[in-house]
Amino acid sequence: MQSDEQLMLEFKGGSNEAFEELFSRYRNPIYGFFRRRLNHGARAEELAQETFVIIIRGVERYETTATFRTYIFSIALKQLWSERRKGLREARTTEMSLETGPSTDPTTGLWIRDAISRMDPDHREVLMLREYEQLSYEEIAEVLAIPLNTVRSRLLRARNEVRILLDEQSMKGVSR
Amino acid sequence: MSHEHPISPEELMAYADSQLSADRTSQIGAHLESCRDCAEAVADAKALSSRLATWQIEDAPEPLTRSVLAALETRPRRNELRSAVRLWTKGRVLAYGFGGAVFVLTAVAGISLVQRYREMREYDTQRSAGLSAPEEIPRTWPFIATPPPPPPPAASPQGTIGRLSTAQQPVLPSSSTSGPLIIRSVQLTLVTKSFETARTRIEAIVQESKGYVDSLSVRSEPKSPKSLSAVLRIPEMTLAASLIELRKLGEPKQESQNSADITGQYVDLVARLSNARNTEQRLLALLRDRTGSLKDVVAAEGEISRVREEIERMEAERKNFDNKVQYATVQVEITEEYHAQLQPPLTNTGTRIHNAAVEGYETASDTILGIALTVLADGPAVLVWLMFLSSVGFIARKLYVLIRARRLPGTIASI
Repeated sequence: MQSDEQLMLEFKGGSNEAFEELFSRYRNPIYGFFRRRLNHGARAEELAQETFVIIIRGVERYETTATFRTYIFSIALKQLWSERRKGLREARTTEMSLETGPSTDPTTGLWIRDAISRMDPDHREVLMLREYEQLSYEEIAEVLAIPLNTVRSRLLRARNEVRILLDEQSMKGVSR
Repeated sequence: MSHEHPISPEELMAYADSQLSADRTSQIGAHLESCRDCAEAVADAKALSSRLATWQIEDAPEPLTRSVLAALETRPRRNELRSAVRLWTKGRVLAYGFGGAVFVLTAVAGISLVQRYREMREYDTQRSAGLSAPEEIPRTWPFIATPPPPPPPAASPQGTIGRLSTAQQPVLPSSSTSGPLIIRSVQLTLVTKSFETARTRIEAIVQESKGYVDSLSVRSEPKSPKSLSAVLRIPEMTLAASLIELRKLGEPKQESQNSADITGQYVDLVARLSNARNTEQRLLALLRDRTGSLKDVVAAEGEISRVREEIERMEAERKNFDNKVQYATVQVEITEEYHAQLQPPLTNTGTRIHNAAVEGYETASDTILGIALTVLADGPAVLVWLMFLSSVGFIARKLYVLIRARRLPGTIASI
């Protein structure tokens, strides 16, 4: 099985099939990245599409100085931040809220979603990149442009924070 | 978990996430076998991850796949578009700058060449017309190593040219052949504002110079400007002063002067005249001293008559020469200013088109010259500003790329 970087180089060389393989690998992760962080599914789909289009357009200048995984999630994160800035300007909330989100288990998914949405933003981003995008500590540090030790400390605090929030929700749920 | 634990919570978390090296993983694994608190911490971390993982997202919708693959199909065209849009690469900026500089230099050189050419033509026209040449010697042609045309003869205070310096000497007596004998003729075309004044002044000038009017005709027709054509005979001694006065009558449009050396002809004529007189004297002596038959006497008288006739003809010719040498012929054409400025009425459409084209060319030349002068005057300052702004833009671009690279590691800067 070819690595992501090899496929990207082949795509740079003109092989559209290589990109199709990359797309099949990252289609769901990138869509999930936006879908977990935004309320609007259509907007998540658009941003996922824009992320892949950026990769297509920038392939001529792609260099293997970083893993493709870091590369694509960096682009996705940049798109997300841009969307958030735009949302602030338009005074509308595009981030997670308490409205019903997509989940295979509505109850559990809703609780987790609610807990994560109430986390400190810095902690939340590190936690989500680790738990849902399955990035390594080094990849998170690279994507967020922060030191590795900062990633560790933030992740530890994030887990403690989300554990408390989930416990609180559990308590509320039991009391109901 | 107490502070005495040799493994930090962060390391336990990293152990649970499999983010430690193999050695450290085995060390912590061994520790977990003997440390219940740490084992629980790891188990809690894994349990939390498992719990968080229950929040699942549905697969990407099919339209996403279609739209991305559609964008993929347009990739070549997009790249072509990007390369077409990237007009201001470093190499192209240099090429554009060089090309622009070459264009400006070529334009300036071309305009300068045309300007010099026009000046040379104007100079040649003036010289051929016999008008007073400019004081300055024409500048050399740019980029052409040919020497400039010879400067015109120095104008005398009276404005005459060429051999007038010698002709201005007193005319030799008709019997003398020690100096050159020059017959001079001048054609002068003037445009005057006041026609009547000019006409009056012509007669006055002729009178003051002790000359005479050989012929004079005035043409005045309805709806037509007045014009005057005169042939004046001006003594050689006063020709220069008379020409000065004549030029004051209007704006000279054309002037030409010709000189003809008749010294040889005159000397020959004088010699033949002397011989004829000697012949006449000998015939008279023969007729007076010798006697002969009537037939011989009649023949001698006939010969004397022929010689006398020839002498008189040569005397007349000599007087004519003397007259021509002593009195220069000045042909003056004077027209009203109106006609001279507007050119003769143009009835030929082709001529009109030609004139319009000439005017258009001159206007275009003047415009280009103006642009060139502006470029020369302001171009350096503009270039300095462009270089300054380009440098600022280049630095700003570099900073922007660096900032993007820091925010998005790897090759994100190339997005």
